[in-house]
Amino acid sequence: MTDAALSTRVAAAREERVVGSNAGVRYLLAAIAVFISALMLAPVVLSFFASIKSKADASATPPTYLPHSFSLENYRNILDYQAGLWTYVGNSLLVAALAIVLVVALAVPAGYGLARFRFRGKEVLFLVLLLPLMIPYQSLLIPIYMMFAKIGLANTHIGLAIIHAILQIPFSIYLMRNSFEGVPKELEEAAVVDGGNSFQLFTRVALPLVLPGVVTIALFAFITSWNEFLAALIVMNKETLFTVPVMLVSVRTGHLGAVDWGSLQAGIIVSIIPCVLIYVFLQKYYVSGLLSGAVK
Amino acid sequence: MRLPVHSSLLALALTASAVAMPGAASATDIQMWVRASGATAAQFMIDLWNASHDDKVVATVIPDNQMVTKLATGSQAGDVPDMVSFDLIYMPDFMKAGFLKDITDEMKKDPNYAGVAQAYKDIATYDGKIYGAGFTPDVSVLLWNKDLFKAAGLDPDKAPATLQEIHEDAKKITALGNDTYGYYFSGSCPGCNIFVTSPMMVAAGSKLLPTKAGDDALTGDGVKDVLTEMKAMWDEKLIPDSAQADTGANFFATFETGKIGIQGTGGFAISALKHDKPDMNFGIGFIPGTKAGEASAFVGGDVIAIPAASKHADLALQFIHWELTDEAQLEGLAKNSIIPSRPALADNKYFKDEPRVVTTAQALGKGFTPYALHFNDMVNSDSSPWIQMLQTAIFDGDVDGAIKTAQDAMKAIAAQ
Repeated sequence: MTDAALSTRVAAAREERVVGSNAGVRYLLAAIAVFISALMLAPVVLSFFASIKSKADASATPPTYLPHSFSLENYRNILDYQAGLWTYVGNSLLVAALAIVLVVALAVPAGYGLARFRFRGKEVLFLVLLLPLMIPYQSLLIPIYMMFAKIGLANTHIGLAIIHAILQIPFSIYLMRNSFEGVPKELEEAAVVDGGNSFQLFTRVALPLVLPGVVTIALFAFITSWNEFLAALIVMNKETLFTVPVMLVSVRTGHLGAVDWGSLQAGIIVSIIPCVLIYVFLQKYYVSGLLSGAVK
Repeated sequence: MRLPVHSSLLALALTASAVAMPGAASATDIQMWVRASGATAAQFMIDLWNASHDDKVVATVIPDNQMVTKLATGSQAGDVPDMVSFDLIYMPDFMKAGFLKDITDEMKKDPNYAGVAQAYKDIATYDGKIYGAGFTPDVSVLLWNKDLFKAAGLDPDKAPATLQEIHEDAKKITALGNDTYGYYFSGSCPGCNIFVTSPMMVAAGSKLLPTKAGDDALTGDGVKDVLTEMKAMWDEKLIPDSAQADTGANFFATFETGKIGIQGTGGFAISALKHDKPDMNFGIGFIPGTKAGEASAFVGGDVIAIPAASKHADLALQFIHWELTDEAQLEGLAKNSIIPSRPALADNKYFKDEPRVVTTAQALGKGFTPYALHFNDMVNSDSSPWIQMLQTAIFDGDVDGAIKTAQDAMKAIAAQ
């Protein structure tokens, strides 16, 4: 493609980004966009408001939208709950980090192998690797826990991280395979000419190009692990080993299923902070990673 | 493009492996699982014990509806705590499954055990053997808003003595208008209703749950009388519409708005209301039946037991003996407005200034706990025959059909 043709296409692309023929339509579209954003933000904002209400105010029926009183009671409550908020956050971060390491270490080479090498039964193997997506993991938890208890993995961060990694690996392999297939073969062929072996092709050529995909599967692994409740409850048997979601369920529990709304909302606000931060910082990679998986 | 992400992941992994190996727990830590809604009360006891003992109790809070799964899987895998405090209603299932340690001899030797409320002793005995003791009791009582009673021209110091009286009072309170309602119950919460609605039926002479296969369910007129009266209150709009969908989330919060006249609740409401709504005037009485003088209560709360595979069963036993002593019952429970599990201690220095707690403690003596296997299927699950009966009778209006269906379903479950 010549430079001139390229610049024409870029200009055409820019042209397409201006939506609507006149100002009225553009304002209307802006209004719709603002409305949708408001709709998306409303739960978070309402959660935040509820979290800074006093306990009685937060449980009021009918509910009030804006706080009538300002109180940090709910935040103090979750901060001091049993083992203390930081213990749960620490456990969650540690398990998530281990899960990310496992997922990346296993799914990236697997994806590369499936994308680049030809061997018998490859597609069948790929399908088998995707199978866990089709079975509800809740049904596997108890047998896995029994096995873990026998080999000493119950009650350990690594044990829980392994389960979280199992949940995430099928999707990650799928995404990594597509990412690697998006890398032009010519680049690797050029490296072969320069005397690179298979391992070097993988680490020096293909891997840097699929970095957005790697970041994406790491993010997904983080979010899955950070939010996962049931396995965290079943595998861990000590308060000091529980993760944030287990604490959140306990902290909101009142008598006979009554819900302590204030503490629950405060817990929600605290627990979304890491997810939001990570997303904001890695947004650039995240979006392009998703695209590399979506279009083959 | 270099890969900074890789090096930071490596750093994370190294940190992780360093932190992942926790130091060996001290041999003298006594591990205890507590269900979340009993955790506050249990913590009072644990703090008191830890203040004067070298072997510390360490609590792990388990979400209420996961306790059964957790204890069952833990028992199967041999990974259990040294003792456990859970909803007493699951005691029969756990005893039958062999998950708990037989402590008959030790309890029979303990003079304090003899004084434990009968409901706790019954629920913790299986095949003549004792497997646990009362720990942090709760019992259902009737709660009414004295300010609304006064405004409606009723005597604020007199508890409604029968269900019909509740109905009459509810009419006058609803007539005050301004979104005020006479009565409230959580219409989609099976547990709340076994706690506060079933005592009316029992007080009126009904027997509710089959104890063993072949027993009849929901016998006597009490069930029908209570459902008919509640249906009438619903039809007359003396109960707010929101009651129908309440799964228990607002079991307590609704009364705190000050717009509900009467409702059944637990003893915990006294300290909770005093904390949340210091200005509200409220009364506590027994849950009545259909005739004056009839009253009952559901004895709930937590029992304490030792899992069969407990590693420090001797220390756990010491704790159980200790929690039944006067010191623990008074300084751990009564001092914190929680009723002791030994009814004889109801009359104590801490309750002197709060006659409402004394009423609650007396309700413990009048109360019952249904001894039933498969309690979860019969009552506590969201689609149980118990909650379906209440909903069909009260909201749909088919009282007789609802009772008949529930009787058959419960009998079938008991036969399993």
